[in-house]
Order: sequence, then structure tokens, then C-alpha cells
Amino acid sequence: MRRFGITKAVIQLILFIFTLAVLIPLFNILAMSLSDPARVNELSGLGVIPKGFSLINYEIIMSNPFIVKSIFNSVFITIVGTCLNLFLTAITAYVLARTEFVGKRLVLVVLIAIMVFEPSMITEYLLMKDLHLLDSYAAVIFYKAINVYYLFILMRFFQEVPNSILEAAKIDGAGHFRIFTRIMLPLSKPALATLALFYGVYHWNEYFRATIYLSDPNKWPLQVVLRQFVVTQDNTTLLKGVEGMTPELLAALDFGSLQSATIVVAVIPMLLLYPLILKYFTKGTMDGGVKE
Amino acid sequence: MRRGGSLKRIRKDWILYLMLLPGMLYFVIFHIIPIVNMKLAFQDYRIIGENIWVGWKHFEQLFSSPAFKDVLLNTVIISTMKIIFIFPVPILVSLLVNELRFGPFRKYVQSVSYLPHFLSWVVIAGIWITLLDPLDGGVNVIRNFFQLPSLDYMTSKEHIRWVLVYSEMWRSAGWDSILYLAAILKINPSLYEAARIDGATTLQQMRYITLPALMSTVVTLFILNLGFFMSAGFDQVFNLMNDSVLSVIDILDTYVYRIGILNGQYSYATAASLFKGVIGLILILGTHFLSKRLTGKGVW
Repeated sequence: MRRFGITKAVIQLILFIFTLAVLIPLFNILAMSLSDPARVNELSGLGVIPKGFSLINYEIIMSNPFIVKSIFNSVFITIVGTCLNLFLTAITAYVLARTEFVGKRLVLVVLIAIMVFEPSMITEYLLMKDLHLLDSYAAVIFYKAINVYYLFILMRFFQEVPNSILEAAKIDGAGHFRIFTRIMLPLSKPALATLALFYGVYHWNEYFRATIYLSDPNKWPLQVVLRQFVVTQDNTTLLKGVEGMTPELLAALDFGSLQSATIVVAVIPMLLLYPLILKYFTKGTMDGGVKE
Repeated sequence: MRRGGSLKRIRKDWILYLMLLPGMLYFVIFHIIPIVNMKLAFQDYRIIGENIWVGWKHFEQLFSSPAFKDVLLNTVIISTMKIIFIFPVPILVSLLVNELRFGPFRKYVQSVSYLPHFLSWVVIAGIWITLLDPLDGGVNVIRNFFQLPSLDYMTSKEHIRWVLVYSEMWRSAGWDSILYLAAILKINPSLYEAARIDGATTLQQMRYITLPALMSTVVTLFILNLGFFMSAGFDQVFNLMNDSVLSVIDILDTYVYRIGILNGQYSYATAASLFKGVIGLILILGTHFLSKRLTGKGVW
């Protein structure tokens, strides 16, 4: 009986350490960004409480017109992209899940083939070039306008809507488009919310297609700008266009802390949505049996 | 159904085809056309005019290039390390989480462990570069505490592959346990009751009830993982890479990016992509049919 209790305690301890390993690096970044730049050197690599308190890092990145622009770009791409994703995914899922038509089998086979064979990034890039979509948001948004995995999740959800409701609408003379907009969509609000989160997270975090398709830095989303600071250590851009930058202020700054503040800004929208994500994502993933 | 009948049905269902049109246009333009265009691997790219067919030229060049051999080897090594060291971790996490009673602690563990999955690799790279800082990064703070000298992991050829393994584990161990946890929740609770009455310990219950019940999920996810074998985690490598370690973590996709997008050798890079795609396809179809034969269960 005693051994039993010890096993449980060890399990709890292991999992607790695991969560610390996730949380400490995150809180360390937050503490760095909020520390007084003059005292940030005192902050240990495992420290989670800011040394002193200062919002100077946030003031600086928020007064950098380039960063502010990139936040708006990200918001734009995320909202427009997600709306387009939802519309295309839902209308395609309805036709494939709830109707019979000549050629349906062929469409499904092609979709499964698409899941197992991805085009090369080179031919995708050349296609965007041929379509004159380079340097436009359309390239970034259209690149993944429908995710086939998510399409299948929504199809499964649509298939569960009872047939009797659709039959009743048909008898009342409603056509497919009406059934889709007036019955299917309102009934699927939870599933659509799940997909909106799936797609929204994808767009907010996307950086690679934006890197190769958008060469004008003024069009870059936040993740590309962040990559410029963090991965390529480009500190010039970080301070470009910030007004009232004196040599004294510049000397007092800590670039690591500025980078941390930018990371925090890139993560905040995700943290705000995280409770919703936990509620919908976990359920969506369990139902769909899809890891993505 | 006779041909005339089909035509009549197509005409009657015109609204369905209209509704399907936007989605199908998307798939044809942005998926099927770039796949068909991978024929570029057998052509020389021309900015103006038609591309010229050159047969296997780019593949011959590819296979005789030492750089490509290194890249291929790196891809295989990194993927193998990830399968061996990362694949079992979510299974272990799900077994441990399953032992927790439903309550605040269990909720806390799950909420925290899923979080890194939602961070972009750019953000994770930022966090890990800070964590592994040679001067005051968290990992070196721990090393110094145990009287060990600091290490510069990010620029060390010896360590960088392990950085890939651990950072991927950090990101996905929690989230990837969800599917296993879902499978565990489907196990009949009376099995555990019977085992307890027979005096089975927690560990014995894991070993003889939970683990066997997870096997089919394990097989399915293993096959899906093999499908990504040739990718080896492009986003991760792309963001954690630097010049000092390029030679040990340069993988197929980063190579394609560099020679194709950056250097403009489109045909050659497409040949490398096509090679990667075909191997990936063989792996996923091969394991799928093998699994169907052995266990009667495939991926789809």
C-alpha cells in the first residue's frame, strides 16, 4: 500500500519538473523584457522575477514604426486569411460531406493524394512569380487557403448533422446553397470556431512563405521581423526610425531585453486566445484524430 | 449509370459544382499545378521561352555532389535521432498524466505542456538561444551549479543536433500526448479495477493494461511520423541554424531553400525536392501496406 503512494508522488514530481522546464524559459524572457536595462545583467538565466522594473523596452519597440507596421500586417493577414480559409473550407466540406454528385470519388482521391505528396517550395515560388503574386499578401494567404486535414475534420462534423433536418428543409423547397448558409453553418458554430482558431494560429505564426514571397520589408508580418532580430541578430532594424534616440539612451539599452520584449509581443495574442484554444483545440484534435 | 444519365445529373446538380468550384480552383492552381511543374527537375529552367528537357542531368549532378551526400546524411541522422529519442516521450507523458486524478493539478500539467506547440519556431528559437546562452543562459547556470564549465551549444558541432532533439521535445512532448491520452480514456475502467483487486501495482497496470491498449495508436502515429522522415523539421533547423554548425544540421529542405530560392538554381533544387518527395511517399505507402498486412490496420 505504501509503495503505491510513493509511485504516485514520484509521477507528480516528474510532471511538475516537466512543467517547470516549459515555464521557466518563458518567464525568464518576460522577466528580461520587464527588467531595468541597467540591472538586467543581474538576472540569472533561470530568473523569473524582473530586476527592477521598466517598460522602456516596450516603449522603444512600440515607437519603431517598422515594428508597429508589421503588427498591423500580421493582424491583417490573420483576419483576412482566416475568413477566406473558413469560407472555402466550409463550402467545400458541405458539398463533399452532404451531397452526392458525379465525380465525387475522384475529388476525394485527389484530396488524399494531396495529403501525402507536397509540391516543392521551388515550383510553388515560381508559380507565385508567374501569377505576379510575389510581394502581395495574396501569395501568403492563398498558399494555404484550404488545409486538407481541417477539411476532413469539418466534413466529419457535417456528416453528424441529422439527415431529418436537411430533409425538412428540402421539402420546404430550400436549395443546396440555402441549406448550407441557413442550416449547416449556424449548426456548426463550435466546429467553425475550432477551425478559426486552427487557421488563426497558423497565420499568426507563419513566417517562411512571408520571407520568400514578400521582399518589401514594409509588408513583413511580425514573425519575419522578429526572425530578423532574433535569428539574424539584425539590431539596426530594431532601432530604425525610433524617434528621440540619443547616444546616452542607446548606451543604456540592452539588445537581449529588446529582443525579449519583441518575443513577448509576438506571443501575447496566443496567450490571450489560449483558454479558448485549450477548450476547442483539444476537443477538435481528439475528435479529428489529427495531429497538426 | 449510363452516360446520358450522368450528363442529366450533372446538369441538374449545377449548383453543387458551382459551390465546389472555388475550392477545386484552389487545389488545382496551388497544389496540382506546382506538383505537375516539378517536371522542372528534368528540364533546364529558362526565364524566357520554353524550358528544355534534359533527362536525368540534374539528378546525376545531385548524386555526384558531395554537398548533397552530406545533406542527405544529416537528414537521416537528425530524423533517426528524433524518432528514437522523441517519439516515445509523448507516450510516457500520457502514461504519467493518466495517473493523475482529474483536478487542478492535472489541468495545470496539461495546460502548461500544450503551450509550446502554439509558439512559432521563430519564437522558440528566440527562447532557446536565450536559454542556451554561453554566458548566463539557464542551462549553463545549472551546469555551473554542478561545477561544470559553460558550453556554447548553439555554435558547437557536437551539441547542435541534441539542441534540435531537446527543443523539439520541449515543443511537442505535451501536445503529442493528447492522442494517446484520448486512446487511454477509451479503455474500460473495469480492467483497472480487476487488476487492483488482483494486487497489481501502478506500474504493472501501466505495463499490462494501458500500454497494450495504446499499441494501435502508436503504430498509426509511427507511420505518420515516418512520412515526415525526409523533412526532419525544416522550420526548426531554419531558425536554429548558424554558420558555425551549418555543416552538421544542413538538411534537404534547407539545402533546397539555399540553392533554389537564394541561388536561383531552380531545376537542380527541384530535383532535390522531387527526390525527397518520392522517398517520403515510398516510406509512407510502404509502412502503410506493411502495417495493413501485419496488423490489419493502416493509416487511412
